[in-house]
Amino acid sequence: MDGCRSGVPTYEGDLHVVAAAHHIVKALGATKNLSDDLRKILIDLDSHLSMITSNIDSKGGRGLVDVEERLDLAERKIMRWETDPMMIWDSGPKEASDYLEAVDETGKLVDGLRGLSVHENRKQKEILHRAMNIFQTAMSRLEEELIHILVRHGQQFEPKNMYSRSIRKDIVYDESFVSVEDEPTKETSSQNCSNDESGECIVDLVHADVIPDIKSIAKVMFTSNYGPEFCEAFISVQKEALEQYFSFLGTENLSIEDVLKMEWTCLSSKMNKWTWSMKIIVRVYLASEKQLCDQVLGGLGSVSSYCFLEISKATILCLLNFGEAVAMGPHRPEKLLRLLDMYETLADLLRDIDTLFSEEAGSFIQLQFHELLERLGESAIAAFKAFRVAISSNGSLYPFAGGGVHPLNKYVMNYIRMFPEYWNTLNLLLKNQHPGVADQVTKPDYGPDTSLLTSCPMAYHLRSITSCLESNLHKKSQLYKDEALQHIFLMNNIHYLVQKVKGSELRLFFGDEWIRKHNAMFQQHAMNYERATWSSVVSFLKDNNPGSSSMSKSTFKERCKGFSIAFEEVYKTQTSWSIPDPQLREDLRISTSLKVVLAYRTFLGRNLAYTDDKCVKHTVEHVENSLLDLFGGSSRSLRNSRRW
Amino acid sequence: MTGTDQSSFLGRISIRRNQVNAMEGYHEQEIEDLELFQKQLSDRFAELLSAPDDAPTEAFLSISWIRKLLDVFLCCETECKAILLMERDAAQISKPPLDRLIPELLERVVKAMDICNAATNGVELVRHCQKLAEITVSALEQKPFGEGQARRAKKALVSLMSAMHVDDKESSVQKTAERSWSFGRRSGNKDRHHGHYRSLSWQVAKHWSASKQIHAMTMNLAAPRGPEASCLPAPVYILSLIIVFVMWVLIAAIPCQERSGLTTHLPINKHVNWTHSLAGIHDKIGEEWKKKEKKGMAGLLYEMQKMEKLGQSLIEFTDSYQFPGEKEKLDEVAAQVAELAEVCRRMDEGLVPLQMLIREAFHRLVRNRTEFLDVLEQGAPVV
Repeated sequence: MDGCRSGVPTYEGDLHVVAAAHHIVKALGATKNLSDDLRKILIDLDSHLSMITSNIDSKGGRGLVDVEERLDLAERKIMRWETDPMMIWDSGPKEASDYLEAVDETGKLVDGLRGLSVHENRKQKEILHRAMNIFQTAMSRLEEELIHILVRHGQQFEPKNMYSRSIRKDIVYDESFVSVEDEPTKETSSQNCSNDESGECIVDLVHADVIPDIKSIAKVMFTSNYGPEFCEAFISVQKEALEQYFSFLGTENLSIEDVLKMEWTCLSSKMNKWTWSMKIIVRVYLASEKQLCDQVLGGLGSVSSYCFLEISKATILCLLNFGEAVAMGPHRPEKLLRLLDMYETLADLLRDIDTLFSEEAGSFIQLQFHELLERLGESAIAAFKAFRVAISSNGSLYPFAGGGVHPLNKYVMNYIRMFPEYWNTLNLLLKNQHPGVADQVTKPDYGPDTSLLTSCPMAYHLRSITSCLESNLHKKSQLYKDEALQHIFLMNNIHYLVQKVKGSELRLFFGDEWIRKHNAMFQQHAMNYERATWSSVVSFLKDNNPGSSSMSKSTFKERCKGFSIAFEEVYKTQTSWSIPDPQLREDLRISTSLKVVLAYRTFLGRNLAYTDDKCVKHTVEHVENSLLDLFGGSSRSLRNSRRW
Repeated sequence: MTGTDQSSFLGRISIRRNQVNAMEGYHEQEIEDLELFQKQLSDRFAELLSAPDDAPTEAFLSISWIRKLLDVFLCCETECKAILLMERDAAQISKPPLDRLIPELLERVVKAMDICNAATNGVELVRHCQKLAEITVSALEQKPFGEGQARRAKKALVSLMSAMHVDDKESSVQKTAERSWSFGRRSGNKDRHHGHYRSLSWQVAKHWSASKQIHAMTMNLAAPRGPEASCLPAPVYILSLIIVFVMWVLIAAIPCQERSGLTTHLPINKHVNWTHSLAGIHDKIGEEWKKKEKKGMAGLLYEMQKMEKLGQSLIEFTDSYQFPGEKEKLDEVAAQVAELAEVCRRMDEGLVPLQMLIREAFHRLVRNRTEFLDVLEQGAPVV
C-alpha cells in the first residue's frame, strides 16, 4: 500500500487521475471471481482513493474537517443503536443497510486515516482513534446481531418419516428361546424424506431469507479483519444448535463403560436409534450445515470448511464413540443384525463423509469413520461366529414335550430369514471366513442348477448354520425314548426348516437341490414314524394263513383285543404329540389311515362271522375318527370313553 | 526411545520365547526380560522428569511434553503386552491370580478409554482458548493502538478467561454458559444460553466424573509381592499403573468433565527401582494440582497456565487503558503479547497432533482389550 501513501495531491491534474483510478478500482471490485487477497487489496485501495479524493477538494485542514463530519454522521448512526433495545436486523432492511453503510464508511475512514497517518498530525490521530473506537463498537454489535439472527431464524426440522429401515423386523434374540414367530412384528416402515435413500435432502437450518443478511455481516467483518470473531460466534451458535438437535433426536452421550454394561434390549434400541440418527445427522443435518457454511462463507477460502469442522466435530465423535463401544462389546449372536445395520449405514455414509470432510483438516474425522467401519465389520463377523457356536452348543437335558418345532429351530430360522436383506454386506464380510472343517458336508454337491446365489459366501455360511442346527436337532431327538417320537420330532423340525427356506428369499441361497433333499428327509422320518408306531399294531390284523378262509374265533378275539389295546395305547400317547403344521398333520393322518383303517377293514371283513361279537370294541369308523385326534398336542384316552 | 529400540526389544522376547519353550530356564528368561523392560521404563520416565520447568518448547507439562508422555505410554503398552501375551500359552493367563488381575486390568482399560474421550473434548476447549487468545493478540498488535483495540482485546480476554475457568462441575454447565457470553441484555436473547464448551458434547456422559474414574482405577492396584513380583503379575501391575498414571496426568493437565476431588495420591510402589522417576513426576504434578485446584482452573497444561497468567495481566491492562497510553506500559504489553502469540503458535502446532495422539491411545486401548479378551477366551476352560 506504500504507493498510496503519497500524501495529499495538490493540483488539479491529480484529481482526474485519482478519480479515474477510483473508477477502475470500483469496477474491478465488482468482479465476481476474485481471490480473497486481491479483493482485500482492492478494498484497501478503494478507501485510500476516496480518502485522497476527499482531501483533494480542500487541501489539508479542511479535508480533515470533512472527514470528521463524515465520521460524526457515521458515529450517530452506529451509536444510536447502542441505547436501542431493538436488534437492528429485526427493525427492518432499511435500518440494517443504513447501519452497514455507516460501518462501511467508518471502515473506509479508518483505513484512509491510517494510510495518511505518516504525517503525524495530532488532530488526525485523534480522529483515527475515535473512528477505530466506533468501528470496534460496530463490530462487536455485528457479532451480536449475527448471533441473534442465527438463533432467531434457526430452524429445526422433524426427523420423523426419515430414513427408517423399510420392512426389517425387530427380532430380539432371547436366550430362553421363547418363540418369536407369533409375536406381532414391529414394522418400522415409512418413507424417506425425499423418497430416495441416496438422494440428498438438504433443509434450511437457518431461514433462507436471512442468509443474505448473514452474508453481509460476514463480508463486513471479514474485510475488517474481524473474521475470527465472526467464526467464533457462528461456530458457537451452530454447534449448539446441532447439539440441541442431537438431543432432540433422543440421542444422549454415553460413556463406553455404560454401553458395555447395558442390557441387550436397551442396547438394541440404542443401536437402532444410532443407525437412524447417524443417517439424519450426516445426510440431512450435516449436509445442510455444510451448505449453510458454504453459502455464508463461500468466498473465503478454507474458512467455510474450518467452521463446518468445528461445528460438527464434537457431535460426530460422540456418535463414533458409541459405535466403538458397541463394536468392542461382547460378541453376542443377537447383536448380529443390529451390527449389520450399523455397518451398512456407515458404509453407505462413507461417501458423504468423505465429501463433507474432504479438506485436510477433516481427514481426522474421515479416518475415524473408516476405522469404525472396519471395527463394526470385525464385530459383525465375531457375532456371526458366536451365532453358530450358540446354535451348536445349545443343549437340553429333557426332551422337548410333544415333539413339535423346537424353539431353537424357530429362533434360528426366523433370524436367518433376515440375512438375505443383508446379503451384499454379509458376502463382503464373510468372503474370507471359512465355515470350518466340520462343515465340509455343506459344500454344495449341486449339479447344473448351481446359480450365483447358491454358491456365494453367504450361502455357504447359511447352509453351514442349518447343518449345525440339524445336527443339534438330531442330538435333541436322542433325548426321546420313543423311537416314533424321535421321528415325529425330526419330521416336524426338518419340515419347518424347509418351509422357512421355501417361504422366504432363503430359497434362492439354499437352492432347489437342498430343498429336495430336505423334503425327502422329513418324508423319510414320516415313513420311519409309521413303521415304528404302526407296524406292530397292524401286525395283529395280519392273516397268518392267507390260504385259509378265516381264523378261529378265539384267535380273532385275541387279535381284536391285542389290536384294541395297542391302538388305545397309541391313541393315548400320540394325541399328546404335536404336529403344528396342519398340512403335515393332515398328510400323516391320511397315510396312517390308509394303512391302519384299510388293514382293519380288511381284517373285520374277512372275519364277518364274528364281528357282532362284543370283542370288536372299535368300529372301522371309530378307528378312522380316532386317528383324527392324534398329534393334537393334548393327551386323550379311549379307555374311559368306552366300556370295555 | 526410537523405533529400533522397541522392535529389537520385541524381537528379543519373540526369539526367547521360541527358543526356550521348555519350561526349564523359562522363568529366568522372563525375569531378565522384565528387568530389561523396567530399566527402559525407568529411563524413559527419568527423561520426562528431567524436562525443564520453564523452557517454552519442552517444558514440563507442556503440549510437547504430554505428547512425549503419550509416546512413552504407547511404547510401554506394546512392550508390556508383548511380555504378557507374545508366544504365550493362553492357559497361563487364565490361571490364578491372573484370572482376577487381567479382568481388573481390562476394567481399567475401559475407564481409560472414557478418559481419553474426555481429554479429546478437553483439547477442544484448549483450542477454543487458543482462538480467543489469537483474537486478543491480533487486537493488541494493531498499530496504531487505541481504545477500540483495547476493547476488542478485552472482549476476547473476558471470553478467554471464562472459558478457561470452567468450573467442570456438571451442575454449573448452564450457569457458566450464560456467563461466558456477555450479550444477555436484549430481551430477545434471554432464553439463549451460549457457551461454546459448556455444552452437551463436552460431556462424556451425564454424571460422569473424571476424578471418580481415576479413583475407581486405583482400587486393587497393588504391587505384587514376594514371588509374584518377578512373574506375570508384575507386568500386569506395571501396565495398570502406567495406564492409571497417564490418564491421571491427562486429567490434571487438560480440562475434563468433573475433576473436583481428583486424587493426588496414586499407589505407586516407591520401593522398586523403576518407579523412582514416575513417583517424582507424580509428586511434582500432585503438588501443583493441590496449589491450583482451589482456584478453579483450566488444568496444569503449561501453555494454559502461561496463557492464564498473560491473560490476567492483559485484562488488567485493557481495563485501565486510556488513549494513548504510556510508552513504557505499552512496551511491556507488547512483550506479553509476543509471548502470548508464541503460546498460540505452539498450541496451533501441537494441539491437533496431541488430539490425534490421544485418539491413537484410545484405539490402542481398544485393540489391547480385544487381544486380551481373545487370549482369555482361548484359555478359558472348555464348557
